[in-house]
Amino acid sequence: MKITEKFEQGEFVVTAEVGPPKGCHIEHLLEEAKTYLSDITAVNVTDNQSSVMRLGSLATCKALKDEGLTPIFQITCRDRNRIALQSDLLSAAMFGIENLLLLTGDHTKLGDHPQAKPVFDLDSVSLIHTVTQLEAGVDLGGNALVGEPPKFAKGAVVSPCSDSVDAQLAKMEHKVRAGADYFQTQAVYEPEKFIKFMEKASQFGKPVQLGIVIPKSAGMAKYMNDNVAGIHVPQEMLDELRADKEKTKAGITGVEIAARIIKECKPYCQGVHIMALGWESKIPALLQQAGLR
Amino acid sequence: MSFRFIQMLFELLYHSQGGEHLEDYTKYRLKSADELAPILAGTDHLFVIACNKCFKEFTTTEEPDCAAFEKMAAEQGKTITGSMKVDFLCNKTQTVRKLKDMIPEGTEGVCVVSCGLGIQTIADMMVENGGPDSRPIPVFAAADSLNYTGHHGMALTKKSCDACAQCYLNITGGICPIIDCSKSLVNGQCGGAKNGKCEVDPEKDCAWEKIYRRLEKQGRLEEFLNQPVQLRDYSKVNFKFVNDYVKSVRENRLDGYYGGVHPLERKEATERLELQRFPEPQVVAIPLSMHAGAPANPVVAVGDSVKVGQKIGESAGFISSPVHSSVSGTVIAIETRGHATRGTCPAVVIQSDGKNTLDASIQPHKPLEELTPEEIIDIVKEAGIVGMGGAGFPTSVKLKPAKPVDTILLNGCECEPLLTADHRVMLEFADDVIYGLRAIVKTVGAERGLIVIEDNKQDAIELMKEKVAAYDNLDVVVAKTKYPQGAEKMLIKRVLKRQVPSGGLPADVGCVVSNISTTKAISDAIQKGMPLIERVVTVTGERLKHPGNFIVKIGTNTKDLIDYCGGADSENEITYKAGGPMMGFTLTDLNVPIMKGSNGIICVDTEHSKEQPCIKCGRCVDVCPMELSPLYFAKYADEENWLAMKEKNVMDCVECRSCEYICSSKIPLVAKIKAGKAAVRGMK
Amino acid sequence: MLITQLKTKDSILSLTDGKKVFIINCFGCREVYFPLEEAAGLQGEMNDSGMVTGILTTDYICNPENLELQLESHKEAIDAADVVLVFSCGVGVQTVAARLEEKTVCAGCDTCRLPGFQGVTPLEYDCGQCGECYLNLTGGICPITACSKSLVNGQCGGAKNGKCEVDPNMECGWERIYRRLEKIGRLDAMKCPVQIRNFATDKEVQ
Repeated sequence: MKITEKFEQGEFVVTAEVGPPKGCHIEHLLEEAKTYLSDITAVNVTDNQSSVMRLGSLATCKALKDEGLTPIFQITCRDRNRIALQSDLLSAAMFGIENLLLLTGDHTKLGDHPQAKPVFDLDSVSLIHTVTQLEAGVDLGGNALVGEPPKFAKGAVVSPCSDSVDAQLAKMEHKVRAGADYFQTQAVYEPEKFIKFMEKASQFGKPVQLGIVIPKSAGMAKYMNDNVAGIHVPQEMLDELRADKEKTKAGITGVEIAARIIKECKPYCQGVHIMALGWESKIPALLQQAGLR
Repeated sequence: MSFRFIQMLFELLYHSQGGEHLEDYTKYRLKSADELAPILAGTDHLFVIACNKCFKEFTTTEEPDCAAFEKMAAEQGKTITGSMKVDFLCNKTQTVRKLKDMIPEGTEGVCVVSCGLGIQTIADMMVENGGPDSRPIPVFAAADSLNYTGHHGMALTKKSCDACAQCYLNITGGICPIIDCSKSLVNGQCGGAKNGKCEVDPEKDCAWEKIYRRLEKQGRLEEFLNQPVQLRDYSKVNFKFVNDYVKSVRENRLDGYYGGVHPLERKEATERLELQRFPEPQVVAIPLSMHAGAPANPVVAVGDSVKVGQKIGESAGFISSPVHSSVSGTVIAIETRGHATRGTCPAVVIQSDGKNTLDASIQPHKPLEELTPEEIIDIVKEAGIVGMGGAGFPTSVKLKPAKPVDTILLNGCECEPLLTADHRVMLEFADDVIYGLRAIVKTVGAERGLIVIEDNKQDAIELMKEKVAAYDNLDVVVAKTKYPQGAEKMLIKRVLKRQVPSGGLPADVGCVVSNISTTKAISDAIQKGMPLIERVVTVTGERLKHPGNFIVKIGTNTKDLIDYCGGADSENEITYKAGGPMMGFTLTDLNVPIMKGSNGIICVDTEHSKEQPCIKCGRCVDVCPMELSPLYFAKYADEENWLAMKEKNVMDCVECRSCEYICSSKIPLVAKIKAGKAAVRGMK
Repeated sequence: MLITQLKTKDSILSLTDGKKVFIINCFGCREVYFPLEEAAGLQGEMNDSGMVTGILTTDYICNPENLELQLESHKEAIDAADVVLVFSCGVGVQTVAARLEEKTVCAGCDTCRLPGFQGVTPLEYDCGQCGECYLNLTGGICPITACSKSLVNGQCGGAKNGKCEVDPNMECGWERIYRRLEKIGRLDAMKCPVQIRNFATDKEVQ
């Protein structure tokens, strides 16, 4: 099932992400996904997130699909040239994986193999373009594909709370023109910025899912402020996380904050994408509090 | 030997030996009309800038022009508002100057035919030129830069380096696997080679087969097989380090004035050695020409006895200078003798009686306070004082500037490597130097005197600061070390930010520059009544056994100085120069007298080099402090095209030798420039 | 333009262990970075051990003709050595190795690149020689060299406070491009078709 169908039906689409393990045993991941994520629309599988080498995204997507979940195959341009990227896209299609999230990817230097050669043969925009080409039955080299071409829901990302919103919008437009069907955003902690962004982004007529990272602690929030692009956790939220350490530790504060953001932004977007970063177990409670269940 | 002949010889050499290695790294080609049409849509009035390519064999005839682009633009109905061809477009300082006021009103776009560096330079320039409200003229790239693998050396050889930051040459017998192997493999061949040729390019030898053969030949295969598995590391480039370095290079290059170089200073051997009086010479040969202008007329005859300070040659014109005996004794000859800078020159040869009897005319003058400017000028003229930095321009003429002067710059830079004469004079005759400076300030009627010292002479800076404290109108200026800072035009620009016009004199911008030793000589002339008969000479160089700084009588034989210092410490080929390594004159015969302008004698290893074809690397243009294009001088001199040399402003050259120093092709640029200057002078 | 850095002392000494060494120093291209003092220090130590047969310090050893002249004048010392250790960029080492094919020629330096590959000395501008100039679309700022990932369709989104995710000392190339386009009124350039790089231009210059 393509998640674009759900958007078309007017559904407020909920997705969440899982990160494959560093190793070849996937039982635990599948167990958690089945327990906490079986009633959401789809599950993103990250692609060597933060340039840290892990089990492959494609294989994990296949395993999730076999368990009855709908995977979203995240694919970055960091590790593969255009030949490998197209080949993996065809592999995904063969497995019946229909949802993609197409990204540039973090630089190799940020991960656990800083010596690696960064590829970036393509980037997010040209990768979306490549998928559009494949869907038309032609590869990037201009050669025809044999048989019925694949069809995907082509996702892309955008950073609504970034320092330079205009540049973000320009890039978003680029992605739309290249063929992006829907967007997931970077984590949002400033609903007013998001709403302002959406006022402008709605011109593209593509569904946008609000990105949510459940804040686990004041320390994590501060770390994100200092290091993660496009994220700014406001001071009041930091104070809130600091106020009752036990409550925060138990995840209650974080879920409250996240639920509040979702409620505030819901009228302006078409879905929510939750990056739980290990707190998958909190997702049901979050959805409940946000009024989505 | 005529230049034509040299050129023929050199073509012969080049074609017989070097020809096959010269690669043409011409690096861009015009974009297609199809690509440019949509980009230029709506922009109809275009100005075209084309960069004359670099890193290729330099010819003055076949530079690319803007015609191909103009034709293409015309076909698309565009109007060309003008076009310009520029050398080294990426040399921003020069490009800004050349483009000033060149782009006509009504130009809607600037199309640049060059590599990416040139296009970026122009793009930045246009943005910087556009005011806050006015929109900059759009800049369009009309060419694509071609890629070739790796970075070539400065000789345009086929060998290149990918700058991978982890050199593999140690395990591959000196053949680069990154560049020479199409896949940049580092653990042996891929197996794709057929008949020893690469699978990607049948013209290309398989690098790894070459490596095996080389290692086999050297008996190093075992060593290679024992190497651990090699993994490439792509993470090593440190952006900050590289960028800070680039920034510092640019800053140094443009610091104070455009261009210049930073040769090794090599002053350690003598900068701390106190002045010694050189032993009394038995015979002195005093040239009648140690100055710019007409040689002095001898006023003594063979057999005459003379005393120390006695005039032996009379000034022969407005630009001329008298000469004096540096010893007491008997004139034994007036004859042609060897001369360090002119080959030969008539000289008065005097046998010393060893008594150093002073001439009766040697009497102290009135104190400075009581002397009028005219009196000082007379004293200086009669004392035979000329610029002791080398040029030998009569100081008395300098002291009567045609225009009002507000500042005297005392040149304590001594930017020439190896030399420490002025440095020692500042340390050991500080009071005399100050006295001389005060005399100049008074004579010229200047507001102030500034002593400019390079920052590598901290002791002199401190001492001079102490000394000038007593005078309101004197000060010390510390200048960052850079060659040729001591050239007066550079010094004026650095200190006063004034630009001496082409063909002009310092007085045109309100200043007079004086050398340290000259200034001290002025003091001696006033306070002791002693004419210029001795000077401080640094005798040094890596090959000299015992370097030192000496007070030497004018006319002393250079060979005596070398012998006194122990001679050379090597049997290899040695080069002796009068002056420093940059501006000094090579001495083929050491039997030449020390003169008023002899600041040093150096003894160094002979540099073996062979002139190669100019590869248009642009370094000479980058370092020329007069902002000239020395590469053209070399070319035009070879073609004996003196008019073209004149048009390229050869007469502005200060002969600092920075271009020759930096030249990767070892072209003797200064010799060619001098020939050009001589020819241009002859044209008048 | 190139920049040379000394290899680690251990790795250099392992190359020359117990062998007679002739040392060649190239002052680079005079203005190109060469670790003069570190090299002199290390060579002083090696010289003290009595294993050094000679030291040649010169410039532009990448120029075969001039290198030849220098090597001629040091022939005996070179013949007496087991290893010729060259402190220069990779081009210099290769030129020496090609001239002394029978000798073990080793590199004492690693070579990194500097911006401003051609023309005048190191520059603040850089050109990746990509063969398909993008400067028309980027307001004259090169995305190949100004962006860590050499992206040609806009920023990756990894920049924080305008600084690149790879190196906080480096400004995000695409934010610079965006500001430039804004300033020169050419933001419409961002609306160009999707750009896909062509890495196959090598042959055209051969």
